[in-house]
Amino acid sequence: MVLAALGVALVLKQFLASPNVALVFLTAVLASAVAYGLWPSLFGCLLSVFAYNFFFLMPLYTVTVTDPENVVALFFFVIVAVIVSNLTSRVRSQAIAASERARTTEELYQFSRKLTGAIDLDDLLWATAYQIASMLHLRVILLLPGAGGLAVRTGYPPDDEMDAADIAAAEHCLQKNLATGVGTTDRPDAHWMFLPIRTGRGAVGVVGLSGEDADPQLKPEQRRLLEALSDQAALAIERVNLAADVDRARLTAETDRLRTALLTSISHDLRTPLASILGAATSLRTHPGELDVAEQGEMIRTIQEEAERLNRFIGNLLDMTRLESGAIAPQVTVVDLSELVGSALERCAKILAAHRVEVRLAPSLPMLKLDVVLFEQVLFNLLDNAAKYSPAGSTITVEADCANGWVEFRLLDRGDGIPVSDLERIFDKFYRVHAADRRRAGTGLGLAICRGFVEALGGSIRAGNRSDGNGATFTITLPVPEGATQFVEEVAS
Amino acid sequence: MRTEALPLRILVVDDEPAIRRFLRTSLGAQGYQVDEAEDGEPALDAIDRNHTDMLILDLGLPQLDGFEVIRRLRGSGSSLPIIVLSSRTDERGKVAALDLGADDYLTKPFGVDELRARVRAALRHRLQQQGERPIFRCGSLSVDLVRRVVSVDGQDVRLSPREYDLLRLLVAHSGKVLTHKFIMQEVWGGETDIQYLRIYIRSLRQKIEADPERPWNILTETGVGYRLRAPD
Repeated sequence: MVLAALGVALVLKQFLASPNVALVFLTAVLASAVAYGLWPSLFGCLLSVFAYNFFFLMPLYTVTVTDPENVVALFFFVIVAVIVSNLTSRVRSQAIAASERARTTEELYQFSRKLTGAIDLDDLLWATAYQIASMLHLRVILLLPGAGGLAVRTGYPPDDEMDAADIAAAEHCLQKNLATGVGTTDRPDAHWMFLPIRTGRGAVGVVGLSGEDADPQLKPEQRRLLEALSDQAALAIERVNLAADVDRARLTAETDRLRTALLTSISHDLRTPLASILGAATSLRTHPGELDVAEQGEMIRTIQEEAERLNRFIGNLLDMTRLESGAIAPQVTVVDLSELVGSALERCAKILAAHRVEVRLAPSLPMLKLDVVLFEQVLFNLLDNAAKYSPAGSTITVEADCANGWVEFRLLDRGDGIPVSDLERIFDKFYRVHAADRRRAGTGLGLAICRGFVEALGGSIRAGNRSDGNGATFTITLPVPEGATQFVEEVAS
Repeated sequence: MRTEALPLRILVVDDEPAIRRFLRTSLGAQGYQVDEAEDGEPALDAIDRNHTDMLILDLGLPQLDGFEVIRRLRGSGSSLPIIVLSSRTDERGKVAALDLGADDYLTKPFGVDELRARVRAALRHRLQQQGERPIFRCGSLSVDLVRRVVSVDGQDVRLSPREYDLLRLLVAHSGKVLTHKFIMQEVWGGETDIQYLRIYIRSLRQKIEADPERPWNILTETGVGYRLRAPD
């Protein structure tokens, strides 16, 4: 820099007075302060003084100064140059610090966003380890307490291993909530420095750090940075842990509730018909002479009806099991909805014997793509449900029409309807609107199966009440496959 | 039927003694002579040894399953009527057994009415193989196969040629289940979509059923095929 300035100055000397040449050197000092900082610029200052004196002040090409005027000029040149390099280099280092802070802040911000987005604990830990390692240039290891004590969950670089002394130091760190290991007063013989990852509620894990020769030797600002990172990580770890706890608690509660409901349902719904069957069969066997023909007929009818009920219940249990285990693979073929309604009514004939059934299907219904067996079971369960919840002699209406690429199928009964708060819940397993329903109802599975099957077929089912307030409606919406309507019209014409 | 002269022999093959007992009692009460087997191999031996008129066969046997029994029997050219016993959720199994050559199926659990109807239909079909009866009557439906006239409650019904072919096929196998595949093969020569079959069934029902929404004559065997109700 000063050499360049000397070159320029030697050229300028041809047309300028030598005092003005001093400004050229001053510029060089300023430039080196901006580019390289304080010490290089002070060195530049010294060189400049020497060069200025040597090349431009009388006597030329000596380091002596004779003219008192020049002595003063040289003196002020030195003062100005030193002040300039000082000020400039301070501005420079402040600018560098500011941009570094901005970068750190930006990285912390990115890191916090990454943690907020992480749902999986492993992703979160990996991101944390990577971030600490890359910002502090250290080897990082993260340990979390688990079922078998504190264990290494992740590290950066990932292949780091720990010996028993390290693990002991880390455990100590977690228990005391204090820094341990190399570089600290607590167990300095370990290969790592361990710091707790803590929230307001205590330590949730431990971060292990290790530099070139084990001791990471953290500078104060690195320590602050590490604290910022580990605080964020701690909150995120706690969040994920809490979410997992809540999920587990919910699952346990749900499983318990279902298990109880299943046991109650099975013991009730299997035993009741069995009790009737066994009772009737033993009566027929032990007192054949004491029963008249009508009574015998009654007993036999009981056996048959209860056996049929048992069969339906077992069918429902099987369907539910298939749904839950994901064993439902719909065998989709082209079907005629009116035909399915017909076969479901045929299968339900006995159950519906006390009811009137009105079928109102739009004549122009397109063919649908469904699994016939599954959908017939849906219709059967809905009809069975309607027969149970509406009084004998009332009318059950089956309707279907088509609009805007959807077929809407409706089943309407004249029962008590469904309380608004239960419209969704009646599709839950083992849910019954009233406790007393247990007596008349079957399994509490029928509607849950309906929903499972309909959804497996790409449709939806919802419950509602009739607009006149007397009775419930069940509505199934199914998509019309492409080209189906066209095809029907083509054949019909 | 010729039951007085010489009782027809039915072989029941099921590994469940309770099912065999039920079949033995109820078929015996209907005048059939009932033989029993617990598995596929002894069943095939019994068929070789005795003069068996019909086979009632459970599909899920311990050693040699029902499908293999059907395959071997049909492979050896036997036309012995076979009714298979199957479970509710096993539509594919039923179709596979029918495709292999079984005549009909019963879904466990079943009642004695159903059993009787299936057995009669399968036996009648065998006895009739020499020639179709000229006039089929069941309920209000009457089909004159010679004059090709279909009437409901005495009123003639106009059917398209295809509809008539379909109905005639059902009449020829009345009381027996016919798979979609079989019907499409016989009526359309196989080159068709099941959509056509459903549409023709729908239009046929509209012409011959009193209440097409709740058919009485042409019964749907969900997931398997169709069955024309046979006169008792």
